[in-house]
Amino acid sequence: MTMLKIENLHATVGGREVLKGINLTVKAGEVHAVMGPNGSGKSTLSYVLAGRPGYEVTKGKVTFMGEDLQALAPEDRAAAGMFLAFQYPVEIPGVSTTAFLKTALNAVRKKRGEKELSPVDFLKLQKEKIAQLDMDTEMLKRGVNVGFSGGEKKRNEALQMAMLQPKLAILDETDSGLDIDALKVVAEGVNALRSKDRAFLVITHYQRLLNHIKPDVVHVLADGKIQKTGGPELALELEEKGYAEFSGDAALRAGAKSK
Amino acid sequence: MFQNMVYSNAFLQTEAVDETTLPWLEDAQKLGEQPAADWVKALRHTGAEAFAHTGFPTPAWEGWQYTHLRPLTGTGFHYAVEAPAFDVNVLPPPLLKDSARVVLINGKYRPELSDAPAGVTVMSLMDASVQIAGIEEHLVTVGDLGKTPFKALNAAYTHDGVVVTVKDGTDVTQLLEVLFYNIGSADHPPALHPRCLYWLGKNSGLTVMERHAGSGVYFSNIYAGIALEPASRLKFYKFEEESAQACHFSYTALQQQKCSSFEGFSYAVGGKLSRQEYQNLLIDSGISSMLAGAYLLKDQQCHDFTVLTDHFEPDGKSVQHFKGVVDDQARSVFQGKIHVRRAAQKTDGNQLNHALLLSEKAEASFKPELEIYADDVKCSHGAASGQLDDEALFYLQSRGIPQQQAKSLLIESFLNTALAEVSFPPVRAVYEERIRAWLRH
Ligand SMILES: Nc1ncnc2c1ncn2[C@@H]1O[C@H](COP(=O)(O)OP(=O)(O)OP(=O)(O)O)[C@@H](O)[C@H]1O
Ligand SMILES: [Mg+2]
Repeated sequence: MTMLKIENLHATVGGREVLKGINLTVKAGEVHAVMGPNGSGKSTLSYVLAGRPGYEVTKGKVTFMGEDLQALAPEDRAAAGMFLAFQYPVEIPGVSTTAFLKTALNAVRKKRGEKELSPVDFLKLQKEKIAQLDMDTEMLKRGVNVGFSGGEKKRNEALQMAMLQPKLAILDETDSGLDIDALKVVAEGVNALRSKDRAFLVITHYQRLLNHIKPDVVHVLADGKIQKTGGPELALELEEKGYAEFSGDAALRAGAKSK
Repeated sequence: MFQNMVYSNAFLQTEAVDETTLPWLEDAQKLGEQPAADWVKALRHTGAEAFAHTGFPTPAWEGWQYTHLRPLTGTGFHYAVEAPAFDVNVLPPPLLKDSARVVLINGKYRPELSDAPAGVTVMSLMDASVQIAGIEEHLVTVGDLGKTPFKALNAAYTHDGVVVTVKDGTDVTQLLEVLFYNIGSADHPPALHPRCLYWLGKNSGLTVMERHAGSGVYFSNIYAGIALEPASRLKFYKFEEESAQACHFSYTALQQQKCSSFEGFSYAVGGKLSRQEYQNLLIDSGISSMLAGAYLLKDQQCHDFTVLTDHFEPDGKSVQHFKGVVDDQARSVFQGKIHVRRAAQKTDGNQLNHALLLSEKAEASFKPELEIYADDVKCSHGAASGQLDDEALFYLQSRGIPQQQAKSLLIESFLNTALAEVSFPPVRAVYEERIRAWLRH
């Protein structure tokens, strides 16, 4: 079953066209990796999918679970099963992590037509997930991401994902900032969620993560477009050769040489 | 000893009377016919004279730059000697059960609707003025009436109000709610000028919730003295929830003696035009004086907090901590000053004011001031306004939290730091509930 279908997607941010015609189809059960140079539009793609204001779709279409995404507010996308683990998680002083998780989970459950969790059931669930991710419960009392280290923030994203049980999880560089052990723990968390009904879009710069989370498909995003799509071996190839082949500079240089 | 200030102003005899002030004073004469203690008569006279000369302040006055009085001065308010007939069922239920409650209707103390906690004496201002020795000292510490027209106007009408006293050494355990319920009218909008006193004897303790609520058009102009004798402790939680058409002006004169402590919180959401002014005098050493507050404004409301904290002697600790949310075309004003006199070494004074603007037309004005004459002190101040954090809002929404709920969550968390100054959990819970209700507007 097709879960996400992106057709000729163009998007601007801050008046600049960043996505210049993306085509991508993700089926349920699949893991897609997206790699690409800095500034190529990976985070932009993830924000467009999550519905961040200011990221304007100028052309093309995105369908998620058969629904036109553009018509949905960010919270409705979340309820429909979309989840974005942020590259830079946001700090929210004054809102405790537990209160945040509970509000989010119950809001999503309500929208999905499920009953809100009782406080006891919520705490049980939270405790279970915390243990899986090897997190410190003390962090739950603090403001969301406030005073968290880079790695702790990423773990917190993984925790939210585990609690919300999305259908499509977009992980935007969730591996960066994690130490080797944490990377394993978080990857295990992701693998635990893998199922035939779920899909993942994993944005990363490093092959290392893909050793733990085996992708079915690897895409290269450069200059706002998918430049190449292949199997897991493509990631290894990139690790070796870098992105020179896809960057605008290289293309220019190649063009100059041929003259 | 308390500061005893002279209440006559030499210039009053020389300056001309401002004709426009006279309608505001004409009802004061009705009071003159009633018997009263000499000091009450003198106070009325001095107040009337001061107001007759100055009238209401204009934006040219120091401290009145931002708060414009048209909604008040454009309406004809009149004082009534008699309280209006009313139905007791309109009174809101007490905020917390197990509290005792004192009720004032249009500024007039209503003993038949009131009860006092054990250890607390409550009586009308007029009764107290003749029955309580030394009370005058706390009710006439008026400073320069020529600079405080609302206080002067209130003085001219000295008659209504209530006096709450706690004897030396009494720690009152029961909570006291003081409800000012005001019944307005569009045809004959009343002016209310209650004068009140909370007087805590040495080493006594009391917790008060002072509520201001009502219906229709009225002008509530309150003067409240708070006298804290050595080592006494007052928790003073105010709820300014006046009717949407009302004007609320209150002047709180707090005088703290040695090692006394004051913890105040003011929640301001009511009235179309309101100003709460505090003059907190820490006249001895070792005093703690914390005043925090939250204002939540919408439509075309204008609210002003003007706070002076004045440290006279060493080892004082003071806080002014206000947070506000301003929506629609509403305007907020915060003017805070910490004054540290030469003798007040080791003063620790902090002032913080933050306003969150929820609409493009909302406005927040600040005037934060520190005036320090002692050299060994720790003082800070900060004031800023900002908007809701878009990034945080999107983050919450991306987790499935609906936009409106996400906004409320961010606003609550913004207000929480000020609310954290309230050390009494049941009252903090009431405030939280009020804020949540406001956010659903
Ligand atoms: N608000 C904005 N205004 C203008 N340009 C923006 C804005 N946000 C992003 N951009 C630009 O869009 C381009 C793509 O940014 P994006 O964050 O999507 O890159 P990325 O592929 O995620 O890079 P990285 O690997 O460094 O995370 C960059 O050139 C960036 O400067
Ligand atoms: Mg990025």
